Amino acid sequence: MTEFLQYFPLALTFTNLLTLILGVIGGLILGATPGLSPTMAVALLVPFTFHMDPATGLILLGAVYTATVAGGAISAILINIPGAPANIATLLDGHPMAKQGKSQTALYVCFISSLVGGLFGMVIMILFTPPLAKIALKFGPSEMFWIAIFGITVMAGLSSGSIAKGLIGGMFGLLISTIGYSPLLGVPRFVFHDVLTGGIAIVPALIGLFAIPQVFALAEKLHVHIERPDYKPQKGVLFKTFIQNLKMVKALSIGSIVGSIIGVIPGAGGQVSGLIAYDQIRKFSKKPESFGTGNPEGVAAAESANNAMVGPSLIPLLTLSIPGSPTAAVLLGGLLIHGLFPGPDLFLNNAPITYTFIASLVLAQLAMCVFGLTMSRYSYMVMSVPNLYMIAAVSVLAVYGTYSVQNSFDDVIVMFSLGTLMYIGRKFGFSAAPVVLGIILGPIAEDNFLKGKLIADTDVGAFAYFFTGPMNITIILLCAASIGYSIYGEIKAYKKAKEKMA
Amino acid sequence: MRKELIISLVLLAGTIGLYSSLSLMEDPRAATFPRVVIIIMGVLSVALLLQSAIIRQKSNKPALQGTNIEDKDEKNSTAVKNKFPLAQVFICFILIIIYFAVMEWLGFYVSAFLFFVAVTFVLGGKGLTLRKGGGKVGVAFIFTALLFVWFNKLLVVQTPKGMFF
Repeated sequence: MTEFLQYFPLALTFTNLLTLILGVIGGLILGATPGLSPTMAVALLVPFTFHMDPATGLILLGAVYTATVAGGAISAILINIPGAPANIATLLDGHPMAKQGKSQTALYVCFISSLVGGLFGMVIMILFTPPLAKIALKFGPSEMFWIAIFGITVMAGLSSGSIAKGLIGGMFGLLISTIGYSPLLGVPRFVFHDVLTGGIAIVPALIGLFAIPQVFALAEKLHVHIERPDYKPQKGVLFKTFIQNLKMVKALSIGSIVGSIIGVIPGAGGQVSGLIAYDQIRKFSKKPESFGTGNPEGVAAAESANNAMVGPSLIPLLTLSIPGSPTAAVLLGGLLIHGLFPGPDLFLNNAPITYTFIASLVLAQLAMCVFGLTMSRYSYMVMSVPNLYMIAAVSVLAVYGTYSVQNSFDDVIVMFSLGTLMYIGRKFGFSAAPVVLGIILGPIAEDNFLKGKLIADTDVGAFAYFFTGPMNITIILLCAASIGYSIYGEIKAYKKAKEKMA
Repeated sequence: MRKELIISLVLLAGTIGLYSSLSLMEDPRAATFPRVVIIIMGVLSVALLLQSAIIRQKSNKPALQGTNIEDKDEKNSTAVKNKFPLAQVFICFILIIIYFAVMEWLGFYVSAFLFFVAVTFVLGGKGLTLRKGGGKVGVAFIFTALLFVWFNKLLVVQTPKGMFF
């Protein structure tokens, strides 16, 4: 906490504040735009941070991450399409409110609740991240190897309907990370074409895997008509809603606590936190039947939960390199690109950058509320942007973002090839997030695997080194639990589907 | 379910191909980590193959009792296939390929402008009037001009060069 207060003023410099405000406004617009995922938005922004100071670059990414989660609620409320998976629970009562002509109230409840939940989550993050990072100091190569594998198993279970497909995606990502010259022996691996000689950099992979499938998905929905919402802002609603919102103590408390707890669990994500908080507030309510018909408490619980999740979801990311969500995985890529490796080092050697970043996330919550409330009256305009313009703009930005990494056209080819492959993969139920995480964690996994193997060969042997010891066993059990839980979920879903068919 | 079988077979063939390419590496030690990953990938592909085969078999059982789920699936998937706008996606794919091809010749900004115009005209060409067309060209021009000011003047970053910029 002392360090946080010590470095807080660094987030208040003119450049950092301006970046933060631009990031929040951009994030709100991107989050509100149907068809543009927050993960893709952050991935497209990573190259823009190259020319920035690391702290400023991370502030931009953090601000966009925070704002897209809240911005996604705008389209959920107004047109019944969640801007991000985290906003699914918001539309359950948010859209009925909009249909009753209470769009403005619903949006105000959404942003005020997001602020309350977001700030609560940030406090949890500030209190728990540094002590947990110290635990990571005790990790050797075998533990670090297992941590990387744990990250992949978590993401595999989270983002794919099938754990087998998720894990295959993760393994595919690990293989992609080995393309190019071996870091230890300097021999080429899987260089089937000259384009692959330098290996596959993180940014082209990130952009290709998230942006190109989105471009094709937009092309699929070219002629899908989205009804323009009927939204006429009125004066005096803000103050009334503010008072009404603060009286929803139960909804805000449940949302903030549930969001923070779910956020810490690697891979659980905002979607789950919003839905659980919504379910809990309905159970605790005296009028459970009013939920789903436009009860503002439903919006408050869901939005406070998915924003409370943002801060705690960064705890496993900043301490153990395990992202809590696909967007956090992209954020991890952003950290690595700026030479910042998650773990204790982040809080010891890079404390000014790390704490400035954390401080900016707190400020981003405030900015998100202020600009969200201001912009909500113009939000319907964002939803009128035709898919055609988005296809063109995203493609051009994807090319720029990729080319700017090494000024290489080869990277553009790699980006587009990976993206096209991912689009086809999506049609077969594969997801980009485990692949990306495999690419990001690949070097960490390989480096620690080989280091561990060297130690094991001269000492106790590979099995004893990698599979014994309390830390190793704990992480292996966590990997097994993560896979087991996903398999259980799949079997349950299969049985349910079978019962429905019968 | 046929889709699942196909993808697991493709994955299995891919892992076998990649595994055999490991022998081409100059130093076998460089293949240690990729070998482990490929083996796990192979095991997972077999698991996916078995999973899809089991589900396929179970889905076929009720068919004997009168409810042909497989048929239903086929009908549903055919319906989806009919609706799937393959032409739009394919045109989009081709436009991007052309965009890449002309970029090295025309440069980033000119090709970006032409690509923007091409996407809006080719993919959204239905009911195009002179006014609408002019509007689309205008949006493309403003977008490219903003890119030029942002990248070339403010960030001063390199973009693919061509005969114009």
